[in-house]
Amino acid sequence: MKKHRNSLGIVVVLLFGFTLFYFGTDGFTAYTAETARVNQLKEDQPKFPIVTLEDSNQRVYPFSEFQNKYVLVTFIYTTCTTVCIDLEMNMSEVYKRIPEAYIGEEIVFLSISFDPTVDDPAKLDMYKNFFESDGETWRMARIENQAELDLLLDEFGVIVIPDDYGNYAHNSAFYLVDKEGSLIDVMDYKDIEGSASKIITILNKEVGA
Amino acid sequence: MKQAKYGLLLFVFLALPPVVNILESIMIIHMHMQMPLLIIAGVLMAKFFLQRYPKFFETWNQNGIPGILLFLVILLYWMIPRTMDEALTLTSVEVFKFISLPFLAGVPLRDSWRKLGSFKRNILFIVITIMSFALGLLYVKSPVQLCNNYLLIEQITLGWGYLTMAICLVIYLLYISFTDQSAYE
Repeated sequence: MKKHRNSLGIVVVLLFGFTLFYFGTDGFTAYTAETARVNQLKEDQPKFPIVTLEDSNQRVYPFSEFQNKYVLVTFIYTTCTTVCIDLEMNMSEVYKRIPEAYIGEEIVFLSISFDPTVDDPAKLDMYKNFFESDGETWRMARIENQAELDLLLDEFGVIVIPDDYGNYAHNSAFYLVDKEGSLIDVMDYKDIEGSASKIITILNKEVGA
Repeated sequence: MKQAKYGLLLFVFLALPPVVNILESIMIIHMHMQMPLLIIAGVLMAKFFLQRYPKFFETWNQNGIPGILLFLVILLYWMIPRTMDEALTLTSVEVFKFISLPFLAGVPLRDSWRKLGSFKRNILFIVITIMSFALGLLYVKSPVQLCNNYLLIEQITLGWGYLTMAICLVIYLLYISFTDQSAYE
């Protein structure tokens, strides 16, 4: 009888372990908080909050400026020496792959700085040149109001941790916002081809309709 | 019973909000100090449960295998990068950490340990050594940040912490396999 219970104990523990891992990883799909976050965002499709942008041409406008256009968003800071450069380089690659007819008409590219005290319009203007951004169909902007910035970062699940040297650790991705201002996809910024073809498919459908 | 009281005291101390904040602010301390201390608190408190409910442990953990499996399940669960992140952002996960590590890992570890022979103990050491090596390599070699709440450099530090632990375990395993333990008893 006791031996029996002991084996039953093993089965119970293994079942418990399986259940724990199943729910802890959303059915074995998300082993990092980042994957879980992206899955959740795609499901929730949060609205882009009301924020005021100031771009490299010193223009100030709300995000609704881009109404009726898709917007591909990235989050950066210009003194970043690591991932932001890759991120923006890849963004320019995606930009080049989108058919010209769509650029500015159907889709706008937008890089948002989360370091507004350092990244003033002059700095952003210089930064945009490194990536051949024209400042019009691909804009670089900051959100000066910290509360608005925090709201956006929170809604889009962007986690920014400052280190002690004026740098930041942050998660990176391409965020695709639709014409109504809802976040519809979070794409891997390292997958240039995949992201570009995904966007082109969406735009083709939009124009065809 | 004194032991159980010290265990409870340690557990309460670890649960104090300022202590929680300090220990969790650095990745390697979160994983290699707070979590093991919670297990140790459980091991100490286990005395109380073992004396109070000896029958339960006798029937359900007769040969120590169910208990040690439970210990390993909990250990492995807290090695998933996501769980450590969520312990910082979700209260429910944080609460689960404070319950699971002492009571579902520490308590069964103590009960099982005395029931396992030296052969099974060594197998447990080998399993933990392999786990430490694997995680160490994962954290050191991973090109991406696995935890959103910590900097990449902290992740690498943690990885080396695991590798160091694994190396120490290997030294221990070599030591016991090349020396005659019975000569010292």
